Amino acid sequence: MANRDIPEINAGSMADIAFLLLLFFLVTTTMDKDQAYVRSIPKKIEIPPENLPDVQKRNILAIKANSQNQLMVRNVVFSDPDMISDFILRFYQTSEIKNKPEENFPLYSTATAGLCDLRMSELDAKIDEADKIGANDLVKFFSSALEEWNKKKKAIRLYGKSELREIDKQAHIRIEVQEATAYSIFTQIHNEIEEAVVELRNTKCKELFGEPYTLVKQRYNQDSDARDKEILDLIEILYPARIVEVTPKN
Amino acid sequence: MSKFRKVEERSAPAMNTASLPDIVFMLLFFFMVATTSKETDPTVKYTSPEGSRTEDLTPYKQRSEIDFLYLGAPRNPNRATAFKFGYALSLDNVVQATPDGLYSTNAVSRWKKDKFDQKPARMIAPIEAVITCVKADQSAPSGLVFDIRKQLQDIDALTIAYSVKDKGVNKASQ
Repeated sequence: MANRDIPEINAGSMADIAFLLLLFFLVTTTMDKDQAYVRSIPKKIEIPPENLPDVQKRNILAIKANSQNQLMVRNVVFSDPDMISDFILRFYQTSEIKNKPEENFPLYSTATAGLCDLRMSELDAKIDEADKIGANDLVKFFSSALEEWNKKKKAIRLYGKSELREIDKQAHIRIEVQEATAYSIFTQIHNEIEEAVVELRNTKCKELFGEPYTLVKQRYNQDSDARDKEILDLIEILYPARIVEVTPKN
Repeated sequence: MSKFRKVEERSAPAMNTASLPDIVFMLLFFFMVATTSKETDPTVKYTSPEGSRTEDLTPYKQRSEIDFLYLGAPRNPNRATAFKFGYALSLDNVVQATPDGLYSTNAVSRWKKDKFDQKPARMIAPIEAVITCVKADQSAPSGLVFDIRKQLQDIDALTIAYSVKDKGVNKASQ
């Protein structure tokens, strides 16, 4: 057979095909990321416990919203919702350096590595005792408490100081909305809380580790790094966000 | 003057477009990598409220540790009266409602359980950690959100996310 040249394929329409694909992806995709406030829901309790300990007034920061979408913080009407985050900052910072009992804000306590060791050895003894009588619920309860103290001890070591000041265990922010309150008001309350807490955390994290909390958190979400986890734990012990969402009554 | 040829006679040389597909493919790959496809087109109308300091849900989406549910007005306004407060719940494009004027929230726990069972085997997150993201209309009543929350609590799906549109933070204040 004669040596025949293979005819060249016309690639002129290749660009058209690629454009078609490109347009398809442009139309079916969204550029905006999904953004949200992530919150945890407390576990369901079968039998409501009796004789709950009283929570001091100073430890509660109640943010209420009514069906007319008006906001109230600690029984004071807030016409400008942006002021709420400043109030939350005061809630955290008033006693941060030095306890000020005369102010109506939560007090701080001091934790040291020694205290952690003491509490942990106490809990160890309690776990052994509960184990002997076979009270599994108690063992579980004490073990989680032990884990908490262990975390705190690690946090103090990372903190680099001999002691760590932490806000009252009972201090919390309470969101009370009514059934007809608009969702935008509900998310606005979350927004104000987040603004205050993230600002506190970012400032502290930058001071200690040279980068903002949000950045560390983002990185941890992508590739769970052990060191990042420790940093996050420490910052979250320093500024815990305890948010209680009260179910509206009918 | 024969030294100068007439200019009009010469046509412009054809431009070589051989590299055009390469350029377009490059654009195509950029968009394929940089974007995420829409999960579903919800059957209810909703406008998210604005907020700042939000958390980006993309890493959870990549690990499929998140499910979305929508709360908004039904597309057909005549049907709105059939729902509690005029808002309907859309779970995987099925508008949840019963004819007696109540939307059925216990559908949420059923839906969430089904979703969890259908997750890929490589996912190790327990149901407590799988986020349920509520995308609600800005004027939807919070009572409905709490109804959903109650349903999730009943089946121990203990992480909820309240979706908002990020209005962007002032970088200078960071």
